[in-house]
Amino acid sequence: MTRDRGVHDIGGTQGWGKVPHSPDEPPFHNEWERRVLGLMFQVLRHTATRPGEMRYALERLAPDDYFDHGGYYGRWEAVMELLLEEYALLAPGELDVLLGAKEGTGPAHRASRVAPKDPHKLPADRKTPPPNHRTVRRELVDPPHFGVGDRVVALGANQEGHTRLPEYVTGVVGTVVKIHPAEVLPDSTAHDLGERPQHVICVGYRAEDLWGNESEAGVVVNVDLYENYLTAVEEAA
Amino acid sequence: MSSGTDHHHETDPRSPEVRTEALEDLLVEKGIVDRARVEALIERFENDLGPMVGARLVAKAWLSPEFRRRLLDDADEVVAAEDIQGAEIEHIEIKANEPGVHNVVVCTLCSCYPWALLGLPPNWYKSPEYRARVVREPRKVLDEMGLSLDADTEVRVWDSSSETRFLVLPEQPEGTDHLDLEELAHLVSRDSMIGVARAQKP
Repeated sequence: MTRDRGVHDIGGTQGWGKVPHSPDEPPFHNEWERRVLGLMFQVLRHTATRPGEMRYALERLAPDDYFDHGGYYGRWEAVMELLLEEYALLAPGELDVLLGAKEGTGPAHRASRVAPKDPHKLPADRKTPPPNHRTVRRELVDPPHFGVGDRVVALGANQEGHTRLPEYVTGVVGTVVKIHPAEVLPDSTAHDLGERPQHVICVGYRAEDLWGNESEAGVVVNVDLYENYLTAVEEAA
Repeated sequence: MSSGTDHHHETDPRSPEVRTEALEDLLVEKGIVDRARVEALIERFENDLGPMVGARLVAKAWLSPEFRRRLLDDADEVVAAEDIQGAEIEHIEIKANEPGVHNVVVCTLCSCYPWALLGLPPNWYKSPEYRARVVREPRKVLDEMGLSLDADTEVRVWDSSSETRFLVLPEQPEGTDHLDLEELAHLVSRDSMIGVARAQKP
Protein backbone atom coordinates (compact mmCIF):
# COMPACT_ATOMS: atom_id res chain seq x y z
CA MET A 1 0.00 0.00 0.00
CA THR A 2 1.41 3.36 -0.99
CA ARG A 3 -1.21 5.59 0.55
CA ASP A 4 -0.71 7.08 3.95
CA ARG A 5 -3.47 5.15 5.68
CA GLY A 6 -3.65 3.04 8.79
CA VAL A 7 -2.64 -0.62 8.69
CA HIS A 8 -6.27 -1.61 9.28
CA ASP A 9 -7.84 0.69 6.71
CA ILE A 10 -7.75 -1.74 3.80
CA GLY A 11 -11.18 -1.40 2.17
CA GLY A 12 -10.72 -1.30 -1.61
CA THR A 13 -6.95 -1.86 -1.55
CA GLN A 14 -5.64 -4.10 -4.33
CA GLY A 15 -3.22 -6.96 -4.70
CA TRP A 16 -5.01 -9.42 -2.40
CA GLY A 17 -5.66 -13.01 -3.42
CA LYS A 18 -8.72 -15.17 -3.05
CA VAL A 19 -10.75 -15.08 0.16
CA PRO A 20 -9.70 -18.11 2.25
CA HIS A 21 -13.28 -19.31 2.40
CA SER A 22 -14.68 -22.61 3.52
CA PRO A 23 -18.41 -22.75 4.33
CA ASP A 24 -18.11 -24.91 7.44
CA GLU A 25 -15.07 -23.29 8.95
CA PRO A 26 -14.94 -23.75 12.73
CA PRO A 27 -14.56 -20.61 14.89
CA PHE A 28 -11.22 -21.85 16.25
CA HIS A 29 -8.43 -23.75 14.54
CA ASN A 30 -6.43 -24.63 17.63
CA GLU A 31 -6.39 -24.36 21.38
CA TRP A 32 -4.45 -21.11 21.72
CA GLU A 33 -7.08 -19.23 19.68
CA ARG A 34 -9.74 -20.37 22.17
CA ARG A 35 -7.60 -19.21 25.08
CA VAL A 36 -7.10 -15.80 23.47
CA LEU A 37 -10.87 -15.29 23.21
CA GLY A 38 -11.37 -16.24 26.85
CA LEU A 39 -8.50 -14.07 28.06
CA MET A 40 -9.49 -11.02 26.03
CA PHE A 41 -12.71 -10.31 27.86
CA GLN A 42 -11.00 -10.31 31.24
CA VAL A 43 -8.07 -8.25 30.00
CA LEU A 44 -10.40 -5.64 28.51
CA ARG A 45 -12.12 -5.08 31.85
CA HIS A 46 -8.77 -3.97 33.25
CA THR A 47 -7.63 -2.00 30.21
CA ALA A 48 -9.53 -0.69 27.17
CA THR A 49 -12.99 0.12 28.52
CA ARG A 50 -13.83 3.19 26.42
CA PRO A 51 -15.56 2.85 23.03
CA GLY A 52 -12.97 2.66 20.27
CA GLU A 53 -10.04 2.17 22.62
CA MET A 54 -9.36 -1.46 21.78
CA ARG A 55 -9.85 -0.88 18.06
CA TYR A 56 -7.37 1.99 18.18
CA ALA A 57 -4.85 -0.24 19.94
CA LEU A 58 -5.24 -2.81 17.13
CA GLU A 59 -4.71 -0.05 14.59
CA ARG A 60 -1.43 0.89 16.29
CA LEU A 61 0.10 -2.57 15.88
CA ALA A 62 3.02 -2.93 13.46
CA PRO A 63 1.91 -4.34 10.07
CA ASP A 64 3.72 -7.64 10.72
CA ASP A 65 1.83 -8.10 13.98
CA TYR A 66 -1.47 -7.00 12.44
CA PHE A 67 -1.32 -9.33 9.44
CA ASP A 68 1.25 -12.06 10.13
CA HIS A 69 1.09 -12.94 13.82
CA GLY A 70 -1.43 -15.77 13.55
CA GLY A 71 -4.34 -13.88 12.01
CA TYR A 72 -7.26 -12.48 13.98
CA TYR A 73 -6.61 -14.15 17.32
CA GLY A 74 -2.88 -13.53 16.98
CA ARG A 75 -3.71 -9.86 16.50
CA TRP A 76 -5.76 -10.07 19.69
CA GLU A 77 -2.85 -11.66 21.56
CA ALA A 78 -0.61 -8.84 20.39
CA VAL A 79 -3.08 -6.16 21.42
CA MET A 80 -3.47 -7.69 24.89
CA GLU A 81 0.27 -7.34 25.40
CA LEU A 82 0.15 -3.73 24.19
CA LEU A 83 -2.77 -2.76 26.42
CA LEU A 84 -1.39 -4.56 29.47
CA GLU A 85 1.91 -2.72 29.11
CA GLU A 86 0.22 0.64 28.53
CA TYR A 87 -1.93 0.13 31.63
CA ALA A 88 1.20 -0.90 33.56
CA LEU A 89 -0.21 -4.34 34.35
CA LEU A 90 2.84 -5.80 32.64
CA ALA A 91 6.28 -4.21 32.77
CA PRO A 92 7.77 -3.41 29.35
CA GLY A 93 9.27 -6.61 28.00
CA GLU A 94 8.10 -8.67 30.99
CA LEU A 95 6.73 -11.45 28.81
CA ASP A 96 9.93 -11.53 26.73
CA VAL A 97 12.04 -11.98 29.85
CA LEU A 98 9.75 -14.75 31.05
CA LEU A 99 10.12 -16.51 27.71
CA GLY A 100 13.90 -16.15 27.73
CA ALA A 101 13.73 -13.95 24.65
CA LYS A 102 15.49 -10.70 23.95
CA GLU A 103 13.52 -7.76 25.33
CA GLY A 104 11.65 -6.11 22.48
CA THR A 105 10.72 -9.39 20.82
CA GLY A 106 7.06 -8.79 21.58
CA PRO A 107 4.51 -6.78 19.60
CA ALA A 108 4.02 -4.05 22.22
CA HIS A 109 7.55 -2.88 21.55
CA ARG A 110 6.83 -2.36 17.85
CA ALA A 111 3.44 -0.66 18.21
CA SER A 112 2.87 3.08 17.70
CA ARG A 113 2.08 5.27 20.68
CA VAL A 114 -1.29 6.99 21.09
CA ALA A 115 -1.30 10.09 18.86
CA PRO A 116 -1.95 13.38 20.65
CA LYS A 117 -5.31 14.80 19.58
CA ASP A 118 -6.39 18.43 19.74
CA PRO A 119 -9.86 18.47 21.33
CA HIS A 120 -10.60 21.82 19.68
CA LYS A 121 -10.57 20.10 16.31
CA LEU A 122 -13.30 17.70 17.46
CA PRO A 123 -17.01 18.63 17.41
CA ALA A 124 -18.31 20.18 20.65
CA ASP A 125 -19.57 17.84 23.38
CA ARG A 126 -23.32 17.79 24.00
CA LYS A 127 -25.18 16.82 27.15
CA THR A 128 -27.40 13.77 26.75
CA PRO A 129 -29.46 11.83 29.31
CA PRO A 130 -27.26 9.18 30.96
CA PRO A 131 -28.21 5.74 29.61
CA ASN A 132 -29.62 3.21 32.09
CA HIS A 133 -27.36 0.43 30.77
CA ARG A 134 -23.94 0.19 29.17
CA THR A 135 -24.34 1.37 25.58
CA VAL A 136 -22.76 3.67 23.00
CA ARG A 137 -26.20 4.96 21.99
CA ARG A 138 -27.26 8.43 23.09
CA GLU A 139 -30.45 10.48 22.74
CA LEU A 140 -29.64 13.75 20.99
CA VAL A 141 -32.05 16.69 21.21
CA ASP A 142 -30.71 18.34 18.06
CA PRO A 143 -32.01 16.74 14.87
CA PRO A 144 -29.52 15.50 12.27
CA HIS A 145 -28.21 18.07 9.80
CA PHE A 146 -28.89 15.74 6.91
CA GLY A 147 -31.92 13.95 5.56
CA VAL A 148 -32.41 10.88 3.38
CA GLY A 149 -31.52 11.71 -0.21
CA ASP A 150 -29.06 14.51 0.64
CA ARG A 151 -25.75 14.50 -1.21
CA VAL A 152 -22.77 14.49 1.17
CA VAL A 153 -19.01 14.08 1.19
CA ALA A 154 -16.52 13.17 3.93
CA LEU A 155 -13.48 15.36 3.45
CA GLY A 156 -11.16 13.40 5.73
CA ALA A 157 -9.86 13.49 9.27
CA ASN A 158 -8.20 16.75 10.27
CA GLN A 159 -5.74 15.08 12.63
CA GLU A 160 -3.98 11.82 13.47
CA GLY A 161 -5.51 9.18 15.69
CA HIS A 162 -8.57 6.94 15.76
CA THR A 163 -11.41 7.47 13.32
CA ARG A 164 -14.13 5.31 11.74
CA LEU A 165 -13.93 7.06 8.41
CA PRO A 166 -12.56 4.60 5.84
CA GLU A 167 -10.07 6.06 3.37
CA TYR A 168 -11.88 4.63 0.34
CA VAL A 169 -14.92 6.89 0.72
CA THR A 170 -12.97 10.02 1.61
CA GLY A 171 -13.57 12.77 -0.93
CA VAL A 172 -16.26 10.79 -2.77
CA VAL A 173 -19.82 12.12 -3.00
CA GLY A 174 -22.56 9.82 -1.73
CA THR A 175 -26.26 9.92 -0.87
CA VAL A 176 -27.81 9.65 2.59
CA VAL A 177 -29.69 6.34 2.78
CA LYS A 178 -30.81 6.28 6.39
CA ILE A 179 -30.20 7.87 9.80
CA HIS A 180 -29.15 5.41 12.54
CA PRO A 181 -29.42 6.06 16.30
CA ALA A 182 -26.90 8.55 17.67
CA GLU A 183 -23.69 7.22 19.28
CA VAL A 184 -20.73 8.56 21.20
CA LEU A 185 -17.93 9.60 18.84
CA PRO A 186 -15.14 6.98 18.84
CA ASP A 187 -12.66 9.54 17.43
CA SER A 188 -13.06 11.26 20.81
CA THR A 189 -13.74 8.44 23.28
CA ALA A 190 -10.78 6.37 22.05
CA HIS A 191 -8.56 9.31 23.05
CA ASP A 192 -10.37 9.95 26.35
CA LEU A 193 -11.67 13.33 25.18
CA GLY A 194 -15.35 12.94 26.07
CA GLU A 195 -18.41 11.48 24.39
CA ARG A 196 -19.24 14.21 21.82
CA PRO A 197 -22.24 12.17 20.56
CA GLN A 198 -23.14 12.28 16.87
CA HIS A 199 -25.98 11.18 14.67
CA VAL A 200 -24.87 8.23 12.55
CA ILE A 201 -25.59 8.66 8.87
CA CYS A 202 -25.71 5.72 6.48
CA VAL A 203 -24.30 6.95 3.16
CA GLY A 204 -24.63 5.01 -0.10
CA TYR A 205 -21.81 5.28 -2.63
CA ARG A 206 -22.13 4.14 -6.23
CA ALA A 207 -19.29 1.85 -7.26
CA GLU A 208 -18.52 3.99 -10.31
CA ASP A 209 -17.99 7.00 -8.04
CA LEU A 210 -15.67 5.00 -5.76
CA TRP A 211 -13.66 3.04 -8.31
CA GLY A 212 -14.16 4.78 -11.67
CA ASN A 213 -13.91 2.81 -14.89
CA GLU A 214 -12.82 -0.38 -13.17
CA SER A 215 -16.02 -0.64 -11.14
CA GLU A 216 -18.55 -3.44 -11.37
CA ALA A 217 -22.00 -2.43 -12.63
CA GLY A 218 -24.98 -2.13 -10.30
CA VAL A 219 -23.12 -1.97 -6.99
CA VAL A 220 -23.81 0.38 -4.08
CA VAL A 221 -21.55 0.42 -1.01
CA ASN A 222 -23.25 1.68 2.16
CA VAL A 223 -21.07 3.08 4.93
CA ASP A 224 -22.15 4.34 8.37
CA LEU A 225 -20.52 7.67 9.11
CA TYR A 226 -20.59 9.93 12.18
CA GLU A 227 -22.30 13.17 11.26
CA ASN A 228 -19.29 15.38 11.95
CA TYR A 229 -17.38 13.59 9.16
CA LEU A 230 -19.82 14.87 6.55
CA THR A 231 -20.29 18.06 4.56
CA ALA A 232 -23.31 18.84 2.36
CA VAL A 233 -22.67 18.93 -1.36
CA GLU A 234 -24.47 21.59 -3.41
CA GLU A 235 -25.47 20.01 -6.69
CA ALA A 236 -25.01 22.18 -9.77
CA ALA A 237 -28.42 23.17 -11.12
CA MET B 1 2.81 -18.77 10.61
CA SER B 2 4.61 -22.02 11.06
CA SER B 3 2.16 -23.78 13.33
CA GLY B 4 2.72 -26.92 11.29
CA THR B 5 0.53 -29.95 10.86
CA ASP B 6 2.35 -32.19 13.31
CA HIS B 7 1.62 -31.62 16.95
CA HIS B 8 5.08 -30.94 18.27
CA HIS B 9 5.14 -28.20 20.85
CA GLU B 10 5.89 -24.74 19.48
CA THR B 11 8.83 -23.10 21.25
CA ASP B 12 9.58 -19.94 19.25
CA PRO B 13 9.06 -17.05 21.73
CA ARG B 14 7.62 -14.96 18.90
CA SER B 15 4.80 -17.38 18.13
CA PRO B 16 1.30 -16.36 19.26
CA GLU B 17 0.79 -19.86 20.68
CA VAL B 18 3.80 -19.61 22.99
CA ARG B 19 3.02 -16.03 23.97
CA THR B 20 -0.65 -16.81 24.70
CA GLU B 21 0.25 -19.68 27.03
CA ALA B 22 2.85 -17.61 28.85
CA LEU B 23 0.55 -14.60 29.04
CA GLU B 24 -2.26 -16.63 30.56
CA ASP B 25 0.05 -18.09 33.21
CA LEU B 26 1.43 -14.65 34.03
CA LEU B 27 -2.01 -13.02 34.28
CA VAL B 28 -3.31 -15.83 36.50
CA GLU B 29 -0.26 -15.41 38.73
CA LYS B 30 -0.92 -11.66 38.93
CA GLY B 31 -4.59 -12.22 39.76
CA ILE B 32 -5.81 -10.38 36.66
CA VAL B 33 -7.28 -13.49 35.10
CA ASP B 34 -9.30 -16.33 36.63
CA ARG B 35 -8.72 -19.53 34.65
CA ALA B 36 -12.16 -20.96 35.45
CA ARG B 37 -13.81 -17.84 34.10
CA VAL B 38 -11.74 -18.06 30.93
CA GLU B 39 -13.04 -21.61 30.47
CA ALA B 40 -16.62 -20.64 31.20
CA LEU B 41 -16.54 -17.80 28.74
CA ILE B 42 -15.08 -19.93 25.95
CA GLU B 43 -17.70 -22.59 26.54
CA ARG B 44 -20.50 -20.06 26.43
CA PHE B 45 -19.29 -18.80 23.06
CA GLU B 46 -18.79 -22.31 21.73
CA ASN B 47 -22.03 -23.84 22.95
CA ASP B 48 -24.68 -21.20 23.60
CA LEU B 49 -24.08 -18.74 20.78
CA GLY B 50 -24.21 -19.49 17.12
CA PRO B 51 -25.89 -18.91 13.81
CA MET B 52 -29.07 -20.74 14.88
CA VAL B 53 -30.24 -17.58 16.69
CA GLY B 54 -30.14 -15.62 13.43
CA ALA B 55 -31.43 -18.58 11.41
CA ARG B 56 -34.60 -18.80 13.52
CA LEU B 57 -35.29 -15.09 12.95
CA VAL B 58 -34.96 -15.68 9.21
CA ALA B 59 -37.22 -18.75 9.29
CA LYS B 60 -39.85 -16.87 11.30
CA ALA B 61 -39.76 -14.05 8.77
CA TRP B 62 -40.34 -16.58 5.97
CA LEU B 63 -43.32 -18.03 7.82
CA SER B 64 -44.95 -14.77 8.85
CA PRO B 65 -45.23 -11.61 6.69
CA GLU B 66 -46.10 -9.69 9.84
CA PHE B 67 -42.90 -10.85 11.60
CA ARG B 68 -40.90 -10.04 8.48
CA ARG B 69 -42.30 -6.52 8.40
CA ARG B 70 -41.43 -5.98 12.09
CA LEU B 71 -37.94 -7.39 11.55
CA LEU B 72 -37.20 -5.12 8.60
CA ASP B 73 -38.76 -2.03 10.19
CA ASP B 74 -37.24 -2.30 13.67
CA ALA B 75 -35.02 -5.30 14.34
CA ASP B 76 -34.06 -3.89 17.76
CA GLU B 77 -37.68 -4.21 18.88
CA VAL B 78 -37.78 -7.83 17.67
CA VAL B 79 -34.43 -8.72 19.25
CA ALA B 80 -35.66 -7.30 22.58
CA ALA B 81 -39.05 -9.03 22.31
CA GLU B 82 -37.35 -12.36 21.53
CA ASP B 83 -35.06 -11.83 24.53
CA ILE B 84 -31.89 -12.23 22.43
CA GLN B 85 -28.86 -11.04 24.38
CA GLY B 86 -25.13 -10.90 23.90
CA ALA B 87 -22.28 -8.96 22.41
CA GLU B 88 -22.39 -6.66 19.42
CA ILE B 89 -26.11 -5.97 19.12
CA GLU B 90 -26.31 -2.29 20.02
CA HIS B 91 -28.38 -1.71 16.90
CA ILE B 92 -29.34 -4.32 14.34
CA GLU B 93 -30.55 -3.81 10.81
CA ILE B 94 -31.84 -6.64 8.67
CA LYS B 95 -31.38 -6.32 4.90
CA ALA B 96 -33.72 -8.46 2.84
CA ASN B 97 -32.66 -10.07 -0.42
CA GLU B 98 -35.36 -10.04 -3.06
CA PRO B 99 -35.52 -10.59 -6.79
CA GLY B 100 -33.12 -8.03 -8.29
CA VAL B 101 -31.44 -7.08 -4.97
CA HIS B 102 -28.65 -8.90 -3.14
CA ASN B 103 -27.11 -7.73 0.15
CA VAL B 104 -23.68 -8.58 1.56
CA VAL B 105 -22.05 -7.50 4.85
CA VAL B 106 -18.43 -6.62 5.66
CA CYS B 107 -16.39 -4.59 8.12
CA THR B 108 -13.46 -3.10 6.22
CA LEU B 109 -11.88 -1.32 9.22
CA CYS B 110 -11.87 -4.26 11.64
CA SER B 111 -14.15 -7.30 11.82
CA CYS B 112 -17.47 -6.10 13.27
CA TYR B 113 -20.07 -8.86 13.18
CA PRO B 114 -23.45 -9.51 14.85
CA TRP B 115 -22.08 -12.02 17.38
CA ALA B 116 -25.33 -12.41 19.31
CA LEU B 117 -27.13 -13.51 16.14
CA LEU B 118 -24.40 -15.45 14.32
CA GLY B 119 -21.94 -16.56 16.99
CA LEU B 120 -18.21 -16.14 16.49
CA PRO B 121 -17.17 -14.91 13.06
CA PRO B 122 -15.39 -17.32 10.69
CA ASN B 123 -11.79 -16.53 9.77
CA TRP B 124 -12.53 -15.71 6.15
CA TYR B 125 -14.86 -12.88 7.23
CA LYS B 126 -11.96 -11.37 9.20
CA SER B 127 -9.39 -11.94 6.44
CA PRO B 128 -7.78 -8.95 4.71
CA GLU B 129 -8.75 -10.50 1.36
CA TYR B 130 -12.47 -10.30 2.14
CA ARG B 131 -12.29 -6.92 3.89
CA ALA B 132 -10.31 -5.29 1.09
CA ARG B 133 -12.01 -6.82 -1.93
CA VAL B 134 -15.72 -7.14 -1.26
CA VAL B 135 -16.28 -3.37 -1.43
CA ARG B 136 -14.39 -3.05 -4.74
CA GLU B 137 -15.40 -6.18 -6.61
CA PRO B 138 -18.28 -7.85 -4.76
CA ARG B 139 -19.56 -9.74 -7.82
CA LYS B 140 -16.16 -11.29 -8.42
CA VAL B 141 -15.65 -12.15 -4.75
CA LEU B 142 -19.10 -13.72 -4.44
CA ASP B 143 -18.56 -15.64 -7.65
CA GLU B 144 -15.27 -17.03 -6.29
CA MET B 145 -17.10 -18.04 -3.13
CA GLY B 146 -19.68 -19.95 -5.16
CA LEU B 147 -22.48 -17.41 -5.50
CA SER B 148 -23.03 -16.07 -9.00
CA LEU B 149 -25.53 -13.25 -9.37
CA ASP B 150 -27.39 -12.11 -12.47
CA ALA B 151 -25.83 -9.05 -14.07
CA ASP B 152 -29.04 -7.10 -13.52
CA THR B 153 -29.22 -7.90 -9.78
CA GLU B 154 -28.17 -4.86 -7.77
CA VAL B 155 -25.51 -5.59 -5.15
CA ARG B 156 -25.74 -3.66 -1.90
CA VAL B 157 -22.65 -3.89 0.29
CA TRP B 158 -22.99 -2.84 3.95
CA ASP B 159 -19.71 -1.75 5.59
CA SER B 160 -20.14 -1.97 9.39
CA SER B 161 -18.24 1.20 10.29
CA SER B 162 -20.43 2.34 13.23
CA GLU B 163 -21.98 0.20 15.99
CA THR B 164 -24.88 -0.81 13.73
CA ARG B 165 -24.67 -4.51 12.85
CA PHE B 166 -26.21 -6.02 9.75
CA LEU B 167 -27.81 -9.36 9.02
CA VAL B 168 -28.97 -10.47 5.59
CA LEU B 169 -32.42 -12.02 5.23
CA PRO B 170 -31.93 -14.51 2.40
CA GLU B 171 -34.72 -15.44 0.01
CA GLN B 172 -36.73 -18.52 0.92
CA PRO B 173 -35.86 -21.44 -1.39
CA GLU B 174 -38.65 -22.56 -3.69
CA GLY B 175 -40.70 -25.57 -2.68
CA THR B 176 -40.22 -25.12 1.07
CA ASP B 177 -43.65 -23.73 1.99
CA HIS B 178 -44.64 -26.94 3.77
CA LEU B 179 -41.65 -26.91 6.19
CA ASP B 180 -41.91 -25.88 9.82
CA LEU B 181 -39.78 -23.37 11.72
CA GLU B 182 -36.97 -25.73 12.75
CA GLU B 183 -36.80 -27.35 9.30
CA LEU B 184 -36.60 -23.95 7.64
CA ALA B 185 -34.01 -22.66 10.12
CA HIS B 186 -31.70 -25.53 9.14
CA LEU B 187 -31.65 -24.23 5.56
CA VAL B 188 -30.28 -20.88 6.74
CA SER B 189 -26.50 -21.04 6.87
CA ARG B 190 -24.21 -18.55 8.54
CA ASP B 191 -22.87 -17.65 5.09
CA SER B 192 -26.35 -16.88 3.77
CA MET B 193 -26.91 -14.38 6.59
CA ILE B 194 -23.60 -12.64 5.79
CA GLY B 195 -24.69 -12.56 2.16
CA VAL B 196 -22.06 -14.78 0.52
CA ALA B 197 -24.42 -17.71 -0.12
CA ARG B 198 -28.08 -18.48 -0.75
CA ALA B 199 -30.23 -20.38 1.70
CA GLN B 200 -29.91 -24.09 1.03
CA LYS B 201 -32.50 -26.21 -0.70
CA PRO B 202 -33.81 -29.09 1.41
